[in-house]
Amino acid sequence: MTSNLLSIGASGAMAAEVALNLTGQNITNASTDGYVRRSANTVEVASASSWSVANDLSLSGVTVTGITRNADTFLEAEARRTASDTARANSTVAGLTDIESAVENSGVFTAIGNFQNALTALNQNPTATSLRAGVIQSGTTMASAFQIAGQGMSATRTGLQVELGQGLAQVNTLATQLASINNRMSASAGSATAASNVTTGDRANLMDQRDSLLNQIGQFANLATTINPDGSANVNLGGVSGPPLVSGVTANTLASTTNANGTMALAIGTAPVSLSGGTLAGNQAALVKLDQISTNLDTLATGIVTTVNTRQAAGVNLAGTTGAALFAGTTAATMVMTTSSGSAIATATAGSGAASADTTNLIGLNNALTLIDPSGTMNSLLTDISGAVQSAKTTQATLRTLSGAAASSLSAEAGVDLNAEAVNLVKFQQAFQASGKVMQVAHDIFTSILNLH
Amino acid sequence: MTIIGTTSTSNFYATAAEQLASLQSQASAISTSISSGNQFTSASQAPAAAAQMRMLQLQDSQATVDTASANKATANLQLADSVMGQMINDINQARTLTNQAATGTVSDKERASIGTQLAQIQGDLFNLANSRDSNGNALFGGGVKGNAYARDAAGNLSYVGAATSQALPIGGGQTVQSSMTGPEVLNITDAHGNATNLIDALGALATALKAGGAAAQTAAQDGLTTLANGLDATTTAQTVVGSREAWIALSMENQTAQSTARATEESQVGDTDVSKAAIKLQQLTTALQASQSCFVRLSGLSLFNIIGTN
Repeated sequence: MTSNLLSIGASGAMAAEVALNLTGQNITNASTDGYVRRSANTVEVASASSWSVANDLSLSGVTVTGITRNADTFLEAEARRTASDTARANSTVAGLTDIESAVENSGVFTAIGNFQNALTALNQNPTATSLRAGVIQSGTTMASAFQIAGQGMSATRTGLQVELGQGLAQVNTLATQLASINNRMSASAGSATAASNVTTGDRANLMDQRDSLLNQIGQFANLATTINPDGSANVNLGGVSGPPLVSGVTANTLASTTNANGTMALAIGTAPVSLSGGTLAGNQAALVKLDQISTNLDTLATGIVTTVNTRQAAGVNLAGTTGAALFAGTTAATMVMTTSSGSAIATATAGSGAASADTTNLIGLNNALTLIDPSGTMNSLLTDISGAVQSAKTTQATLRTLSGAAASSLSAEAGVDLNAEAVNLVKFQQAFQASGKVMQVAHDIFTSILNLH
Repeated sequence: MTIIGTTSTSNFYATAAEQLASLQSQASAISTSISSGNQFTSASQAPAAAAQMRMLQLQDSQATVDTASANKATANLQLADSVMGQMINDINQARTLTNQAATGTVSDKERASIGTQLAQIQGDLFNLANSRDSNGNALFGGGVKGNAYARDAAGNLSYVGAATSQALPIGGGQTVQSSMTGPEVLNITDAHGNATNLIDALGALATALKAGGAAAQTAAQDGLTTLANGLDATTTAQTVVGSREAWIALSMENQTAQSTARATEESQVGDTDVSKAAIKLQQLTTALQASQSCFVRLSGLSLFNIIGTN
């Protein structure tokens, strides 16, 4: 017997100690973000005896060859992709909700209705100062409502642009960090292969950091990753065919340009980046919707301004002179009522005298406003944005379910289950005690041999 | 021994937190809808219902203006009605007097006296024609400020009001004219088929009667025809006004029915069905309590508790 029972026992005790250490590490990192459960990779040390007796075995116990990092690259990629989609949905919903409240809380719809009602009521007595004052009052309120909506949307636009800019800065910082991790991965690569999960403690830690960085970038933009043989990760933004953000130890800079209509475009160098996931994509989508809603609102405001002013010019006011423009402004945010005098409203047809009770022009104005249907247009604009919010929320719920499921399966594979670790703790403690017993038996055998006399 | 890990510990806690928060927020949304009485708190919860609600509320506020316009129109029409009633009384009185003047047994002096009385009635009619509406404007002048009729130096009448009476929108695309113009009430043809107006014709008759002679009796006989025409015109105008009042009343009935229908619809679309919501809240609260209890039990199920005691 060439094997040494004492050293076998000692190797077993050492392996159990490593396993116990790893269990402890797992337990303490149970709540650490991005931590992947580790276990000891043990192999039997045994070799065929080459020179003494054929078929004899040389048993030398067990050795720990490395640390198994229980990560599944497919599950990781899936969790990252779905989390990226969810992040996009979350930021889209947040952006659209902001737009919705900016338009809806401004009270434009009610104000338009009140303005038209005041004009209708003026028919009751076109020369009455109180009714004319009512029209001016509701016109001023309507103009301020448009202003509030316009300014609210412009604030939302700025907010979204700033958020996108901050996300962009984060992506660039994370890319730099990933490049530095890549550098250390390459340096410590040795003969490691990407295919193997068995690695050293240091590299397992680097891999955790690498995956955590990839997940963080994924929150901002959807990405395609390629893990190189040395364990470093290459990142392409927007999918496999997108431009590279990180290539080995080089990190490229993602930059944005603001278009004239307030939407934002992304590019790495000269290569445009089109994203389908992450908060940046959500911000971009919200900005596009904002531009559309804002344009529609401006068109509506201009429509009302032009219609009212055109009819004004076609009639005469209470003083018997041709009506001047009541409103000014070419956008919702700049719409103002230019007069505070009720007598400026041209209710009578051209050629009527002062204080004319003629309502031809007023009826014309009412009809012209009914024709462009500002309330209906505003209603469909509101329905448009609230419908967009609703559909974004439905998408968000679906994507959340998907990313939740992906995160769960990844977590079941790579996360720490304290109950399983409790079992491991007991198991390796017993293994350690058993190895000790083996050593004691070896000791007893030696002692009994030494005591032969 | 094999352990089949279904999930990691941190995921268990994250999932539990998310589920409890979701139940909590659903329960809180229902509680809000019960206390506010509104089924939805933002338009994005039900874009179509919100759009419908907005239009219903817009129609409600339009209906308020329409009702005010209709009331205004009714008030003016009633005024016109009553003024025309007085005009008819005057015309009838004038006819009785003219009838006396037309008989051959009346002396010139008596005719002159009748002429003076007719001149009085003419003045009265002139004042009635210049009545004010509820806004203080000319009732038979299309709503112009001041008088509907002016008199020139020769005492001849000229209409200075608007060509048409004021049209008021009373909802549902309907408009109603809130009075009659002077010419619609007073313009007539005299016995010889000449276009004139009742007041001028009465003035001419009064002058002719005062002048006396054989021509006075002829004038009185012609005047009877003229006054009959005048009575016709005024009575017709009064009938028109009456039918407009009836039309407004009908239209208002229709408006009231629509407004009731709208209120029902608004309630169906936007109001919280309290009993349904309360049951849903009960269901959610039960689920929430059960989930909390489950969470406490499951999180207490740690092997470490047992390992430690042995």
